[in-house]
Amino acid sequence: MSERLSYVGKRLARPDIAAKVTGRAVYTADVALPGLLQGRILGSPHPHAKIGNIDTTRARALPGVVAVITHADVPSDKFTRSTLAEAMPDFAFAGERLDQTILTSRARYVGDWVAAVAAEDIYVAEKALALIEVEYEPLPAVFDPRAALRPDAPLVHDDAPGNVAQRMEFPFNAGDTAQALAEADVTVEFFGVSSRQKHIHLETDAAVAWFDADGRLTVISPSQGPHLAKRQVARRIFRDIDESKIHWISPAIGGGFGARLALGVEPAAIALARAAGRPVRVTTTREEDFSGYSSRTDHHQTVRLGAKSDGTLTAIDYRIVADSGAYFSHSGSTTAVNIQMTLGTFQVPNRYGQFTIAYTNTPTTSGFRGYGNAEGAFVLQQAIDILAEKLDIDPVEIRLKNIQKSGDPSCLPPVPVEHTRLDECLRRGAERFGWTEKWCGWGRCKTGRHRRGVGVSAITHSSGAGGFLLETSNASIKLGADGSASLFVSPCEMGQGILGALTQVAAESSGLSREAIHVVTGDTDITPFDLGSHASRSMLVVGNAVADAGAKIKHQIRERAVPLFALRQIKAEPSEIEVREGRVFLFDRQDVGFDLRDVAEAAIFNFADRSEQIAATGAYSAHSHHPNHQAAFAEVEVDTHTGAVKVIEYLAAHDIGRAINPQLVEGQIEGGAIQGLGFALTEDFVIDPDTGVVLSNSLQTYRVPTANDIPEVETILVEDPYAGGPFGAKGVGEAGIVNPAPAIANAIYDAIGVRMTSLPMSADKILYLLAEREKKSGVAPGASAVSGQSI
Amino acid sequence: MTKQIATFTINGRSRDAIIEPHFLLIDVVRDIFGLTGTKLGCGSGECGACTVLIDGEPVNACLTLAIAAGGRSITTIEGLHDGQAGLHPLQQAFIDHGAAQCGYCTPGVLLSMTALLAANGNPSAADVKSALSGNICRCTGYVKIIDAVLDAAARLRLRNERGAAA
Repeated sequence: MSERLSYVGKRLARPDIAAKVTGRAVYTADVALPGLLQGRILGSPHPHAKIGNIDTTRARALPGVVAVITHADVPSDKFTRSTLAEAMPDFAFAGERLDQTILTSRARYVGDWVAAVAAEDIYVAEKALALIEVEYEPLPAVFDPRAALRPDAPLVHDDAPGNVAQRMEFPFNAGDTAQALAEADVTVEFFGVSSRQKHIHLETDAAVAWFDADGRLTVISPSQGPHLAKRQVARRIFRDIDESKIHWISPAIGGGFGARLALGVEPAAIALARAAGRPVRVTTTREEDFSGYSSRTDHHQTVRLGAKSDGTLTAIDYRIVADSGAYFSHSGSTTAVNIQMTLGTFQVPNRYGQFTIAYTNTPTTSGFRGYGNAEGAFVLQQAIDILAEKLDIDPVEIRLKNIQKSGDPSCLPPVPVEHTRLDECLRRGAERFGWTEKWCGWGRCKTGRHRRGVGVSAITHSSGAGGFLLETSNASIKLGADGSASLFVSPCEMGQGILGALTQVAAESSGLSREAIHVVTGDTDITPFDLGSHASRSMLVVGNAVADAGAKIKHQIRERAVPLFALRQIKAEPSEIEVREGRVFLFDRQDVGFDLRDVAEAAIFNFADRSEQIAATGAYSAHSHHPNHQAAFAEVEVDTHTGAVKVIEYLAAHDIGRAINPQLVEGQIEGGAIQGLGFALTEDFVIDPDTGVVLSNSLQTYRVPTANDIPEVETILVEDPYAGGPFGAKGVGEAGIVNPAPAIANAIYDAIGVRMTSLPMSADKILYLLAEREKKSGVAPGASAVSGQSI
Repeated sequence: MTKQIATFTINGRSRDAIIEPHFLLIDVVRDIFGLTGTKLGCGSGECGACTVLIDGEPVNACLTLAIAAGGRSITTIEGLHDGQAGLHPLQQAFIDHGAAQCGYCTPGVLLSMTALLAANGNPSAADVKSALSGNICRCTGYVKIIDAVLDAAARLRLRNERGAAA
């Protein structure tokens, strides 16, 4: 590979940003259509209830109401919200639970969808909801996953005995963990609960749907994977709609973070559009988003580590009880990924993982950036520190000793780890952070009201789910006669900047100029099949498909340039011709050449010979997870009088392979770090343990970081091009959110000597634990059915 | 409900709308005038995505009754520009720094920052953070937004100095 790069590695402006800074980007809520109705959905006020008669007479009579639907009006086939499940092989899909309908005849959480309305305007739709009369027959409910798994618990789904949604022993367990733990020089056990972090995509869920005169359905929604969503709707939900009759458009997406890997209101919008015979837009409020159907799945996690006296890990035993909420969605795959990542961060010969997922009468959880890894790292990275303290080893050193190296057997898919520079992330990060100066050794008691501490965390993540899912991408490029090109890809742009990075890959690989390429995405009629964005895949998997298409374009340009050189009295073989930055020239005589536009023009406006537009499709399928890695360091200050934790400095070093656009990579790491800061310290999803009502139902009661809350954030890009990625690139989207909670937890321990066992690590918990330690009576933190119950 | 005709001065132009007393400014801006750059994120004044300027001051359009904005000067993202039709230096700095990701908070952020720079041409990072604290951004972690605002402030100062020198 030539090291001369024109676009790769450059901080070029992303193609979608001009529309975003001028307010012209069109999101689902901005779509205007003639005759568009406004749709709203009625949620259950009960956490668990049989639904009797639903009287819609008064709602229908309200002027402006066009359609009112209930469970009787929607397909009875059950489905799971996860669109990604459609990319699973059959044996894996068999573990998914098809457990819900669009509108339900039995409410299973407060907010579960009971009826829906389409009306001429949103005010009428809201009024109509209030006029629907539903007879509820309340049933006993259960809100805690461990309570749900007890034999006497009320059943959330009649066909899930014991409320077990899924139970699994990890298929890649190895060695004899029990024996290795018994023989270990030192062992550690640690328990911790992750929280139901909310995505808080600023654009709440919405969808537009309509049927054309010929019965063709168009859906516009902020889906991260429209091709899979379309397949899912046809195969699982509306079986009477042929997949060929569905056109799915994913416009500008106001934040995804994994939430849009599950269907939201799209099926309800389709059902309403069908009932109304007109286009319908269904929208949701922020309050409904909180009481609704997507958040991180809370994992109750117990990890046991065994090690030799020099700190070498010999065994890991890891067990999770997860709470799916009322329906299954992504809970199975996030919990499985938690086990993969937690068992796969360090090289441990004896490993054992298992999980049980419970149903409860709480809102449905889903996939969230970090996808199980952020949950597991919170306990694993504290456990390794506890081990290091027992053996009096520096936390950075014990990680360097145990992290997986290139060639180690991975336990994501059981293939060798192809490439890792996590060691360099740790070393360079520690040096820049000043770890050796700031970390004063174990057990150094700090004094005073404000106490500072430092912590480290080092994790692995995937660049795509190769080995588990159909991890495949297609991309195509076509050249117009004017030399401009269109790049067609379907990763969807939810803010990550992937369209910019892919355009740079397309320009670099094809020889086109970056400015000549227009990128088109997210339209199932136009853009080629792809899974969409998930698992930090798009840079590597879609990127490889784009690079493949780009190489084919360059090949065609070279071939077609031969006669154009001949016209100029120059004999050139295709192999002697280079294409770069929109110019075609001879490798050994760069001054001899012409504008690529001449080739593009001659390809189409060719009156003498066969005319054929220059175009190519590229594809890529991943059979490995192509791991990327990140180490992070945090310095905190704990106010022992208030329990408040302030993060002073945060540094993340990422193993990126090669940064196609360093600005975009930094953006992912910085954004992940601050979302992770909220996960660590303030974002508390609270469910009333008596009623199942979500108490944290606004941005006042659920605190996400504001600009005033952010520390100094520094990023280091560790670049060592990876042969499996486009121009050496690996993924970055998710890793940044995984480290903050454990790095901050370890820093809190360094500051005040208290181990945090639940998220968020809020001031009330810290005060309580400090009081407990000093045998004073503290006020216990408020209880929640999800987090906060465990201190 | 009593319908009435109200006159709004929006992005420098006078426009009439038939409104009802319960209409919010965001409804008028988005649904009647079709200026969809103003975004609804929470409906309760907590996220700042609907921020517009009224007489130069940032307000939440989701909390403001439309009738209360009648006759006053409203600026939305569509009205932000550099004198004529070019990009405002804040917009250009956001592009250069990659300070927008999903873009949903961006119009509100830009208008809050426009008000900041109008009041304080030489803000510190702390000033920017404080002025930004009513706008939630879930994507960027604010880092590049703060960099972009400080850069835009510097560009504006440079331009003003040159303007004064000329």
